[in-house]
Amino acid sequence: MTSDEHGLLKDAAAGDSVALEALMSRYGSRVYRLAYGITRSAADAEEIAQDVFLQLVRKGGAFEGRAAVASWIYRVTTNVALNKRRGKRREVETSLDDCLPAYEADGHRAGSRAFLVADWSARPDAELLYGETRRALDEAIDRLPEHYRAVLILRDVEELSNDEVAASVGDSVSAVKTRLHRARMALREILTRTLGPPA
Amino acid sequence: MMTCHDVIDVLIDYLDQVLTPEVAADLERHLAGCEPCRAYLATYRRTRALGAQAARLEMPDEMKARLRQFLLERVG
Repeated sequence: MTSDEHGLLKDAAAGDSVALEALMSRYGSRVYRLAYGITRSAADAEEIAQDVFLQLVRKGGAFEGRAAVASWIYRVTTNVALNKRRGKRREVETSLDDCLPAYEADGHRAGSRAFLVADWSARPDAELLYGETRRALDEAIDRLPEHYRAVLILRDVEELSNDEVAASVGDSVSAVKTRLHRARMALREILTRTLGPPA
Repeated sequence: MMTCHDVIDVLIDYLDQVLTPEVAADLERHLAGCEPCRAYLATYRRTRALGAQAARLEMPDEMKARLRQFLLERVG
């Protein structure tokens, strides 16, 4: 972004409440979405948003104009949220391995034919985003490691490029793509187990 | 000739349209003859959209008000 965002950041850091309001309006929900996506807790996401915006106004005056404000905000949010999650992850997360595709020695996927060809993609949103399927989707997202959830939010919700996600989470593009692909595959697998025939 | 494993490994690049034309053509040839991979691609694509829809939250208004108050007390 843009010079006007850099100006807003500097004005907010100088105590301009109008600039602060504009930043909150522009980034409040984006920070909340990412923080909630990583922590899966509204209370934690609220604390993180407070911490992030406080950092913006305290450190924004020293922000280097070469970088995008959005990337910086996403990076601060990711760091604060991951720090908050530290020590909690074992409580709620398990291995993803049993949610990834399994293969035969010849490269075909393993599993029953009926399960392998199950295609629920044409079902309407009303069926997929509510009720049992929505619960399965939320539980599947809960199972993802927090770094995976971070890239899922930044790539698939905020629609950043792989390069922008990598800059925001402080990882390589290759690591971002691996996590994103594994996250989508795990969610797909769990949805198929919920919606399709038995594996 | 690509296997199902090969196809699934590069689906992320296929959706991003960053495969070379040769690899994309190989993948599409495989898809034409493989019903499980067609189902996988369709449900993978839909999963991407569903995950995004499920995660597209807005900060609740009362939380915005608390955040505003929190910051004004410390900055203003």
